[in-house]
Amino acid sequence: MRTSVIKAYMQKEFKDLVRTKMIYLVYLLPTMILLLFGYGIRLEVTGARTIIIDQDQSRFSKELIDKCTHSKYFNTKVLLISPNEGLHRIKQAKTDILLIIPPHFEHDLLHGQKSELAAFIDGAFPLRATTMQGYVEGVILHAAKELAQRFGLKHPLITLNHRALFNQAMRDENAIVPGLIGLIMLVAPALLSALLIVKEKEMGTIFNFYASPVKKSEFLIAKLTPVFLLHSINIFILFLWATWWFGVPFRGSFGLYWITSELYLLISLSIGLLVSIITNRQIVAVVLTLIITIIPGFLYSGMLMPISSMVGESYIEAHIFPVMYYNHIVYDTFLIGQGLESMKNILYLAILAGYGTLLLIVGSLLLKKELG
Amino acid sequence: MRSFWTVMAKEFLSFLRSWGLVAVVLYSFTLDVYIAGQGIEVKPRNVRVGYVIEGGGVLPQKILSHLHAPEFQKPKWFASQKELQKAIFNKEILVGLIFGHDFEKNIDSHKGAKLDVLLDATAASQAYITLVYLQNTLLRLENIHIPLKLKIHKLFNQNADSHMFISFAEMLSVITMIGIILTAAVFVKEKEDGTWDIMLLMPVDSRLVILAKAASQIAIVMGGILICVGFVLLGVFHVPINGSFLAFMLLSLLYAFTIAGIGLFIAAASHTIMEVAQLSVLIMMPLIFLSGAWTPIYSMHPILQKLSVISPLRYYIEGSESIFFRGTGWSDLYPYFMGVSVLGILTFWYGYRKIGRLF
Repeated sequence: MRTSVIKAYMQKEFKDLVRTKMIYLVYLLPTMILLLFGYGIRLEVTGARTIIIDQDQSRFSKELIDKCTHSKYFNTKVLLISPNEGLHRIKQAKTDILLIIPPHFEHDLLHGQKSELAAFIDGAFPLRATTMQGYVEGVILHAAKELAQRFGLKHPLITLNHRALFNQAMRDENAIVPGLIGLIMLVAPALLSALLIVKEKEMGTIFNFYASPVKKSEFLIAKLTPVFLLHSINIFILFLWATWWFGVPFRGSFGLYWITSELYLLISLSIGLLVSIITNRQIVAVVLTLIITIIPGFLYSGMLMPISSMVGESYIEAHIFPVMYYNHIVYDTFLIGQGLESMKNILYLAILAGYGTLLLIVGSLLLKKELG
Repeated sequence: MRSFWTVMAKEFLSFLRSWGLVAVVLYSFTLDVYIAGQGIEVKPRNVRVGYVIEGGGVLPQKILSHLHAPEFQKPKWFASQKELQKAIFNKEILVGLIFGHDFEKNIDSHKGAKLDVLLDATAASQAYITLVYLQNTLLRLENIHIPLKLKIHKLFNQNADSHMFISFAEMLSVITMIGIILTAAVFVKEKEDGTWDIMLLMPVDSRLVILAKAASQIAIVMGGILICVGFVLLGVFHVPINGSFLAFMLLSLLYAFTIAGIGLFIAAASHTIMEVAQLSVLIMMPLIFLSGAWTPIYSMHPILQKLSVISPLRYYIEGSESIFFRGTGWSDLYPYFMGVSVLGILTFWYGYRKIGRLF
């Protein structure tokens, strides 16, 4: 390996990146994705458009309505329309929840008869529907408990005393932004490195490499190093956005975050490299990279669904992609702070290191220095 | 008109000749959508529960027996609080229950007992839903008759089956991505290969060339949609079609035009495929995240709410959701058609103007 060759080749690559204005995008893209997604994904549903049809118009029903209007989760309107009209509004996507308080509601309650409230929820977006169902159930349960107390019914014996760990305020930002770093650091570097070699293939300049005495290893180092260094800065930029802008707490060691991120960056670059080696056209490389990184980076990241709750096929798939291991450590450094005390973190770090080495080896084996 | 068809046929041919591209596009519209749909279930399913019993008695077991499939995995026993906590810290357990020393005793003596629950709040929504579920279970268990019942009907998707929804949302994202990139690449490739000048020298009206090239890519996208809906959505995930399929295809066609317009604009602005790649991601992400697929629009920041008006994907998603799940009729669909058409005409006109200057 000759350092002077690598140095010269690296300079050329670096100039290439600057000349094609790629350098702006290297820094613009990750930041933009983080800001957009950080604001864009909310698992909590606030201000669900709710219509309450009060067919009873009594003191109790008013109390119940009050409970809903004072909750930030609902944006309540009390209307005097027929249930069918309400359903039609759901169909038109003009409202999300329809709560119907039946006639004789108060009367039935006072006489100890069963009274049934009906809630209709738009299920077209299942995640949202389930969350809203939880809110509605929560409000009604609360009201029911109060009522039971007032009527001197049997007092519930067991009270739940819950403690939310790691994210006491249950802020969505804390739950999402660290996961986004895992997504961005997978997509952006891979997208850049995916074009490094295939571009030369399509333009025909790859023959310079075939014909020159540059070794394969020198070529790869020279190609990957500039991208690696440029994207390394993003590790810090994203960290700053997360802690300073989104106010996500950071409880672990920065060193661990940094080293893990560098490893992960290497994996991402190697994925791009592999794509670049096996494809022949840039457009194919772009689409392929986007598809194999965005989906796992988003869905199998543990961001929307905890890995422990996955079963069967998806559980296996989650373990194939690198993002799960990285995110585990990132969530740990941000919210939990166990660091290297936890064996699982060490194991996952080792898996990441192995993953990166394996990809690089496969990549360099597949790269041919001759006409295929 | 003949030259229009010739240019279109040439584009089809070059698309089919590059088998790698065909494979990737096919993959995106089939396997990719399948993997996405298969992967995720957002309601509390298979939640891993761990528990510690410090006292004795049968009541804790009775409570635990109520945590069963499909919502919960079999609760796992831990010897001490510390071990349970460690498992939660390692994200092996999502919900931890601690039955204290005097749990059973307090209940027997009607003093009222406390059940400590530890929640991994990094999965905030699952944690919250699990809590409500637990509360309901306890009430049922204690046989408390509250004369108030709530009956919840989830319309259009009674089981809140998220496979259907996520596969569907993924298809819409794939359409957006493939549509933008293919259209932009068809032009930029000519720039990169140096065949742009040859194209300019062709004795064909430049307007025809632009329209034919864009139309060929729109047709490819439409083919992809048909395959995806037929094989994956209807075939594997059994998504219902409660509305008119024709309406969906029409809406898709309009949307494909909008997307092609964006592709034209990107093609005009970039010189290499590398730039196309980065620019399309840059434009695609906001488009997808302002569409309301992942966050309801009314829960967004007020500024983002206003901005989402210009995301054509917003109308497309709402419209297609209405057609497939809500079964909305033609007359109630007009806002979506209007939204997509107006934005489509604007973007296509703008992209067309931009790329037209280069001819």
